[in-house]
Amino acid sequence: MTRIVVVTSGKGGVGKTTTSASFASGLAMRGHKTAVIDFDVGLRNLDLIMGVERRVVYDLINVIQKEANLNQALIRDKQLENLYILAASQTRDKESLSQDGVQRVLEDLKAMDFEYIVCDSPAGIETGAMMAMHFADEALIVTNPEVSSVRDSDRILGMLGSKTRRAIEGMEPIKEHLLITRYNANRVQGGQMLSLEDINDILRIPLIGVIPESEVVLEASNQGLPAIRMKGADVSDAYSDVIGRFLGETIPMRFTEPARKGFFSRIFRSAA
Amino acid sequence: MNRPVSPFDIKSASITGLALHLRTTDLAAIDAELDSRVTAAGDLFTNAPVLIDVSALDSDALDSNDLNLALLVELLNRHSMRAVGIVGATGALLAQSQSLGLIEELAMRSRARSNAPSPTSSTPEATEESLQRGPDPIDGATAAREGYDHAAVQQAVNFAVDHAVAGLTAPTMVLDKPLRSGQRVYARGGDLIVLGVVSHGAEVIADGNIHVYGPLRGRAIAGASGDTQARIFAAVMEPELISIAGTYRTADKPLAADVLGKPAQARLDGDRMLIEALKS
Repeated sequence: MTRIVVVTSGKGGVGKTTTSASFASGLAMRGHKTAVIDFDVGLRNLDLIMGVERRVVYDLINVIQKEANLNQALIRDKQLENLYILAASQTRDKESLSQDGVQRVLEDLKAMDFEYIVCDSPAGIETGAMMAMHFADEALIVTNPEVSSVRDSDRILGMLGSKTRRAIEGMEPIKEHLLITRYNANRVQGGQMLSLEDINDILRIPLIGVIPESEVVLEASNQGLPAIRMKGADVSDAYSDVIGRFLGETIPMRFTEPARKGFFSRIFRSAA
Repeated sequence: MNRPVSPFDIKSASITGLALHLRTTDLAAIDAELDSRVTAAGDLFTNAPVLIDVSALDSDALDSNDLNLALLVELLNRHSMRAVGIVGATGALLAQSQSLGLIEELAMRSRARSNAPSPTSSTPEATEESLQRGPDPIDGATAAREGYDHAAVQQAVNFAVDHAVAGLTAPTMVLDKPLRSGQRVYARGGDLIVLGVVSHGAEVIADGNIHVYGPLRGRAIAGASGDTQARIFAAVMEPELISIAGTYRTADKPLAADVLGKPAQARLDGDRMLIEALKS
């Protein structure tokens, strides 16, 4: 059974593409045949973060408009044999995404025995975002610990619950997972960021993980490597935990408290 | 043999509309008030069927041609409201309404709680008592099992019937999902119950009461068609805006500490909105 997972947020710049790349890679690293689709037509980024930008010949729009078939457009990851990437078009606009076309692409991927299809949504609530979420079975709601991001996530949750296929056809609702990214425990403690409790009080959906704010994410993007593959980094561990929880494992939350290291270094500094 | 398919089916149906209770025949004053009310209500009134209720006008006005119905209908049209009937018209006014093709609505009664005199109740005392008892959901069978006094049961049943006729028991809308930012729900003609949270930027509207069993953080508009008796209840009262029958209050003016974020109700006392803690 193929599961379609949309990575969405409403707000831009919160870490959707970073999450899509790491989430899809993480599933593939666990041996699941996974496709990740960039729905951000006109502003494609996923191929850069996945390090495949030079190998993009055909894209999602080419497939929807039958100018290429799926086999031609799917890019196989060089390191992970279970991972395939379907890039967005940089030259078309979002209106080229038709609901019928998206459905056909997803059906074809199902027929190719993909276990997971990860849909990287664009920001906003326009066609691209609506198409990315429409056929989803599960959703990762990427949220930063600040008021406007939480408000936009709330809006997106409303749409997931009313405008998607599962909602319209009265099927079992989309399974929602809250993923908090760019979390800085020190700044939460200082009151500059919303706490996990504050966010939960507003959004009220199960938390699947907390990704700490880290420069490693930027480094990874520049190298064209999903953050989950930066061995030994906090972000990598945090994303690995998310994969485990998504697959049904019970893993305690990490990276939610201020780092102890800071505390000791302060003592040593004052002692010196 | 197939029976030929009938070109149409006739089924019973009902629509919800608005009643315009006129207190004056001054069309300019009515126009000005409609301007402000309809604008405030957004698209709630768009294409709403309207009954013009003239029963509050004095008999001179009814018999003369003080009120030009044709102009009033045109005025309503301009505000996207469609006059379909008239209530309480006699004499010259009735003749006017007939020439305009308005339906003469004899059976219509106001849904305002204050005027519930019931022709089916046996005595005025009985009506008074059952009113205080509230609309108990008692039926004959339950009563017989539990051995209720027959007269009391009859009163309760009469009360329920009267209120059903008066439209008070329009179906209550129950939402068991949270209402998220950007979502809007309107319970036309009845009460609205929300079991989850009403988020910032969400809007709940009802012609009757609104109950929110989670936090109320968005906007709540009760008595949207003018019922000043409507109330808003919330388990956690922290709304952006609350409005009852057009009287509103925004979060700009913070709620008192004993109700903010606590179980509370909002109701109207004349033109004043009272927000009070719910104490159990």
